[in-house]
Amino acid sequence: MRVKLKAGPEQRTFIDRIEELSGENVFACYQCGRCSAGCPMASEMDLLPNQIIRLVQMGLLEDVLRSKTLFLCASCFTCESRCPKGIDMARVMEAVRHILDPKGKDAFGPGEISPELAKELPQQVMVALCRKFAK
Amino acid sequence: MKLHYYPGCTLKEKAVALDISTREAMKRLDVELVEPEGWTCCGAEYPLTEEKIVGLAAPIRVLRQVRDEGGEVLVTTCSFCFAVLKRANKALRDDPLKRKRINAFLRDDIQIDPLTKARTTDFEDYNGEVQVLHLLEYLRDRVGTPKIKSRLKRDLKGLAVAPYYGCRLLRPQEEMAFDEPDAPRVFEDFLEAVGCSAVDYAFKQECCGSYLSVSLPDAATEASYRVLRAAQMEGARAVTVTCPLCFYNMDSRQAAIKEKFLDFSGLPVLYFTQILAWALGVDREVLGLGEHAVPADSLFEEVPTTEVRT
Amino acid sequence: MTVKTKKKEDKRIGLFVCHCGVNIAGVVDVKKVAEALKDTPGVSMSTDYVYMCSDPGQQMIIDTIKEKHLDGIIVAACSPTLHEKTFQEAARLAGLNPYQIEIANIREQNSWVHSDKDKATKKAVKIVKSHVAKAIRNENLEPIKVDVKKRALVIGGGVSGLQAALDIADHGYEVILVEKNPSIGGKMIQLSETFPTLDCSQCILTPKMVEVSRHPRIKLLTYHEVDSVSGFIGNFKVRIKKKPRFVDEKLCNLCGECEKVCPQIVPDEFNMGLSFRKAIYMPFPQAIPGTYTLDEDHCLGLSPVRCGKCKDVCEPRAIDFDMKETIIEEEVGAIVVATGYDLYTMQALGEFGGEKYEDVVNGLEFERILSASGPTGGVVRRPSDGKVPKSVVFVQCCGSRDTEKHLPYCSKICCMYTAKHAMLYRHRVPDGQATVFYIDVRTGGKAFDEFYQRTVEEDKVLYIRGKVSKVFKEGDKLIVWGVDTLTGKKVEIEADMVVLAMAMVKTDGVQDLLKKLKISTDIHGFVAEAHPKLRPVESLNAGFFLAGCAHGPKDIPEAVSQASAAAAKVGDLFAQKELSHEPTVVPVNDELCSGCGICVTMCPYGARTLDPSKGVVDVNEILCEGCGACAAACPCGAAQQRNQTDDQIFSMLRAMLRE
Ligand SMILES: Cc1cc2nc3c(=O)[nH]c(=O)nc-3n(C[C@H](O)[C@H](O)[C@H](O)COP(=O)(O)OP(=O)(O)OC[C@H]3O[C@@H](n4cnc5c(N)ncnc54)[C@H](O)[C@@H]3O)c2cc1C
Ligand code: SF4
Ligand code: SF4
Repeated sequence: MRVKLKAGPEQRTFIDRIEELSGENVFACYQCGRCSAGCPMASEMDLLPNQIIRLVQMGLLEDVLRSKTLFLCASCFTCESRCPKGIDMARVMEAVRHILDPKGKDAFGPGEISPELAKELPQQVMVALCRKFAK
Repeated sequence: MKLHYYPGCTLKEKAVALDISTREAMKRLDVELVEPEGWTCCGAEYPLTEEKIVGLAAPIRVLRQVRDEGGEVLVTTCSFCFAVLKRANKALRDDPLKRKRINAFLRDDIQIDPLTKARTTDFEDYNGEVQVLHLLEYLRDRVGTPKIKSRLKRDLKGLAVAPYYGCRLLRPQEEMAFDEPDAPRVFEDFLEAVGCSAVDYAFKQECCGSYLSVSLPDAATEASYRVLRAAQMEGARAVTVTCPLCFYNMDSRQAAIKEKFLDFSGLPVLYFTQILAWALGVDREVLGLGEHAVPADSLFEEVPTTEVRT
Repeated sequence: MTVKTKKKEDKRIGLFVCHCGVNIAGVVDVKKVAEALKDTPGVSMSTDYVYMCSDPGQQMIIDTIKEKHLDGIIVAACSPTLHEKTFQEAARLAGLNPYQIEIANIREQNSWVHSDKDKATKKAVKIVKSHVAKAIRNENLEPIKVDVKKRALVIGGGVSGLQAALDIADHGYEVILVEKNPSIGGKMIQLSETFPTLDCSQCILTPKMVEVSRHPRIKLLTYHEVDSVSGFIGNFKVRIKKKPRFVDEKLCNLCGECEKVCPQIVPDEFNMGLSFRKAIYMPFPQAIPGTYTLDEDHCLGLSPVRCGKCKDVCEPRAIDFDMKETIIEEEVGAIVVATGYDLYTMQALGEFGGEKYEDVVNGLEFERILSASGPTGGVVRRPSDGKVPKSVVFVQCCGSRDTEKHLPYCSKICCMYTAKHAMLYRHRVPDGQATVFYIDVRTGGKAFDEFYQRTVEEDKVLYIRGKVSKVFKEGDKLIVWGVDTLTGKKVEIEADMVVLAMAMVKTDGVQDLLKKLKISTDIHGFVAEAHPKLRPVESLNAGFFLAGCAHGPKDIPEAVSQASAAAAKVGDLFAQKELSHEPTVVPVNDELCSGCGICVTMCPYGARTLDPSKGVVDVNEILCEGCGACAAACPCGAAQQRNQTDDQIFSMLRAMLRE
């Protein structure tokens, strides 16, 4: 199926929102893929980081919001440290997560951690995970 | 000398070894660590969107407390805490809007002294006055290699240890300003100062899987395996870390790693402060070696003690 | 120089308002402007016309000047940078001193930036009025004349410098060619074969090198450096430092005995450190001049007591440990800067391990590995263990096009030389795999894209569109982590060797030279051209010309074209009997000058000096470019620019501000 690109201000709204939330200029990305090349989680992702930002450039909101990738980013900033255009992908990912349906299901909530595991885990990981992936 | 120290919540529960070894080691370098009164969790993650800025309140509260107690420097060891505190501090220094919003939010704080029940309100605005340092930086810049060397009580005989930086210490470089993200030196310099030899390997700044350890354990298992294997291939006898989560992923996860990757034979993981404390003569029993899933005791036996316990 | 001018009260000024089609007339009521100024004191006629710069427009100006006996004119039109010269010429034809022409800019500074017709017209009237105030105070001026020394200095003996020197010499002028290294040849002599035709680089360059060394009008000074430059266009004085070679070029018969006995082993620059030379050496067999050079930094000590082995065996007694640095002085009229480029350091890209792993090399190192005259005699062997690599990964854009952490610009030639490297590698190692990581392939030159396509289609080089994130070692393999953005796959390749297409940057240390020449550079330290489109081979600083990579990344054909163009420009200069310099300079009024010297520090051209004997400032009018920085700074009013005096500027302001 051919993807119909939205034209005009309607398309900008989504992009503007991502730029505003993340503080990054998504149009600075020239799709070199260096973020994906170094990403430790890329092999698990359905869309690579550079594809996420590409879809944002194209205004294809639904595709981005559907992606598993958003919950595979570990915010390790490897992409940030190598991006030749100074884009912090981790911020873009966070911005997209932010505009996911606020009433939707948590990608990962405290409920999913079993009491046994909770006993073993360092505190920081539970706090971090809920901050990242729960509503 | 007194120095403000933020252990963070994990060190009080699961990573006691890191906390204890830090204290014992610093004592031997004439530094007394004091915790800021009534500190709370830093939030573990620095908020990455402009709208989540309320996440800055917790770390800033800690920093304000340090300032109000007359502290100029705050050291921490956990990489997560370090990143959150350092970035939040820089945000308040550099961004007037964030400064205004966070201070407006924190102005209504009420602090109640648990003993006297005295209430403190009307806090003074915090503008990033405190300097946040990682203990590795503090050791390098404020204590200095010569002093560390002069206090060594054990000869570690060039024990081959692989320093593991992980994600939080180095990146984003502009904010962390810790070291070169792709050619760092501080950890290596530290290891050499205490008498180890630092193993150079390609995965010292790769991610261990971080918090995906919980939501996607397999990914963390693989990521940690890659780090451990690379270190082992370069001849490391142990990997050393600064962060309890790295420790968890690489130590507690090793059973799973061995199950999945049959070529891997196991490698002990140490907190850097355990090595420091040991080299400075702290007794083995206080290093918290019982916390390790992969026994590390043997590393601490080879070296003859030249000093009596504290 | 000023010549007699009428008093301002008696002046007859003509005003010509241009429509510039609708460019001006669309926003400014030009007729109203002409009308409004008709009765301004000093203005004796005013009119408008559709295109003042057209032939009939100029003729109208010429005729009117003659008819109405005008003493000055104002053309209210576009910016003076465009047509001031045109109207000055028209004035000259009409017998009027060209410096009595005023251009009132009512286009760029008015019609193009405003839309309200009423207000724009009022503003135009004010602008023109201010020029009337100035015009009646303009003096007649004559251009300043200077002689030209018809000899050129070329700095840099790479292909650009060689070409420029040959062309200028063939025009019939003397050339002094200064090269800092022991031999001429530059980077090109290190290349293996050259795209897009694959000619052997040495085979095509050495004839030029020989020609330069034999040319009767070229004085070749290798192992020399420019020490200082003073003077100005047509009349430069240059001090050139001769570095001691410790070997007499004329006596050395290249027997090579010295090299055999020298105990000092040094990485060989010509082979990019991939092999070794001795402290006394010949950079490469075809080096020009053909002589050995003793490298003082690596010699055990310039005294027969310390070592002296080479001296003992030198039959023709060419070695002289007592040679000292000497200075020679030359006078030239023009200077060509052809100092070339260097490669960005691999150290800056720690994630690729260029500093750590021997088998991660830069482009020039790979040229040496490919070269028949290289350390491996043209067999591709990797530096670490001499094995023939069966998998080579090439990484483009290393440091280039990286706005954030490295260099924002495209180095322009690496796409092509990477294609060449991959192709040549496949020719030499037919069972080897070549993989190129790229983000764009730029093949703009003649026959370039065909060359690239051949690399892909015939030599089966795998091009992967994406960047590399990291290179690391596992066992004796290099592991390359990259991505193919076309399929969205993260890829990993085992390589025996990795070649980094490092960005081209300014020559290391060239800033010291450029400071001595006082010529401007761009933000990356490359020599800046006077105009990016219309004056690409001249510096903004008169008398300096640029050629080759000193100006920015380019390939050999482009470097050579630029060198020939620079030589042609030098020829233009030397074809003139004498030079004219704009007379609108800033002299000093000795009576008013307090000798504070503020203007000396303000002048970007070094035109002003404090004369300690007279206690006043001295101006070299030839060096003065009339920027006016000194005039603005002078606290005593002693520095007044011709036809731009304080009096004129204040009267313009008064005219402008008076309703
Ligand atoms: C890996 C690689 C492969 C290439 N392959 C090709 C190819 O196949 N085809 C192609 O067309 N182009 C190729 N090029 C480009 C080519 O090298 C350049 O276009 C060419 O060398 C430019 O010549 P130049 O004279 O401007 O500079 P250079 O060759 O750098 O010469 C400058 C000279 O000036 C001298 N110098 C510098 N500073 C001073 C000073 N202060 N005083 C005196 N002398 C000084 C230097 O010693 C040097 O001799 C390649 C480049 C690289 C990096
Ligand atoms: S590294 Fe930066 S420029 Fe390259 S694809 Fe990723 S975000 Fe875009
Ligand atoms: S020439 Fe090609 S490889 Fe070189 S910087 Fe430009 S695009 Fe990158």
